[in-house]
Amino acid sequence: MTPEIKEYKRDIIIEVTANLMFPLILLFGLYIMIGTGGTGGGFQGGTILAAAFIFYITVFGHEKGREKMPESVNALFKSLGLFLYNGAGWICVLFSLAGAQWLNMPAFWPVTDYVGVAGARSFLVGYMVSVGIGLTVMAAFVSQYFDLAWKEDEEMEGGE
Amino acid sequence: MIPRQIKTLTLFGLITAILLTAVSIYAIEDLPAFGDENSAVNKHIKLFSVDAAGLVDSLNAGILPAEIKNKTEEMGFIKGPTCPGCQNENYPTLEDGNYKIEYIPQGTWMGGRFYTDGGWDVSILEGEIFYNEFQQYYFIKESEGKLIVYRYNWPVRVSERTEEETAMINSVTSGLADYRGYDTMGEETVILTGAIGVILLVRRRGRL
Repeated sequence: MTPEIKEYKRDIIIEVTANLMFPLILLFGLYIMIGTGGTGGGFQGGTILAAAFIFYITVFGHEKGREKMPESVNALFKSLGLFLYNGAGWICVLFSLAGAQWLNMPAFWPVTDYVGVAGARSFLVGYMVSVGIGLTVMAAFVSQYFDLAWKEDEEMEGGE
Repeated sequence: MIPRQIKTLTLFGLITAILLTAVSIYAIEDLPAFGDENSAVNKHIKLFSVDAAGLVDSLNAGILPAEIKNKTEEMGFIKGPTCPGCQNENYPTLEDGNYKIEYIPQGTWMGGRFYTDGGWDVSILEGEIFYNEFQQYYFIKESEGKLIVYRYNWPVRVSERTEEETAMINSVTSGLADYRGYDTMGEETVILTGAIGVILLVRRRGRL
């Protein structure tokens, strides 16, 4: 029994709208993710970034979506996020020559010279920790969506 | 049997896993102990100090001296607007009968907190309008002829000291990623592990 193959119909309105919206949603996700003054954070911003990619894949199909987000880049982001967070902890240990504790943020001396102790904490939290969380969350969501959107016939072609 | 060749990528993965394990062990060893008085959550906030002459007896009798009471009210810890047009502040008034003073000797372990110095605990009793429950509020310590007045941390740290300590306007962000940074790191690790688990279960393709 062969399932009916529906012809893929392009819709110019949806495609143009998606092309317009995709970078804007990414920008909004970054705005939510970076910095400490806003209402968001890493988890929320990462989810919005993932929503942008899922939107793109839904409109253009997963083959074109793969070009936007290749599997290698996805795997890189997934682990890079955790490494950024752990790196924020390691920076504090390394720059204080193992005098400070793990994630003891005021010990980040190149930054404390310029912006002070409180500014160093804010810098690490806003630009390393939040971005790290966001990258991991985004890559996890997108990879799950790719896995679920994979079709049977393509599995036969590409498998093994 | 032919021994399997160890590929370069596998070796890198092994080294990374060993490093991450070392980091986790280090992080667990490095956590501040529960009840550590110098940890961010338990640290007292110093308010001011007054001369101790004649005030110790009053404290031992359970009455807050007028000097300390007036000075706290001067600092703005009063109920009601501190300036024209301000909102009401939720600080308890220190009228007689609203508080209880208790001397705690050095080395006591009480309420999850270790007292490295002896001192007087000023607690707010039940029935106060804004503090319905029994709550430790001020801590007074005698040192070199001076009485040093501290405030217990939790309400202070969140509402007053966040911006000064972390340069963040948003106290939620500082709580999430700064004061409780280990917790958030664990959450992120859980997300990564969950994603890897979903990949192992759901992915049906031969190559990545």
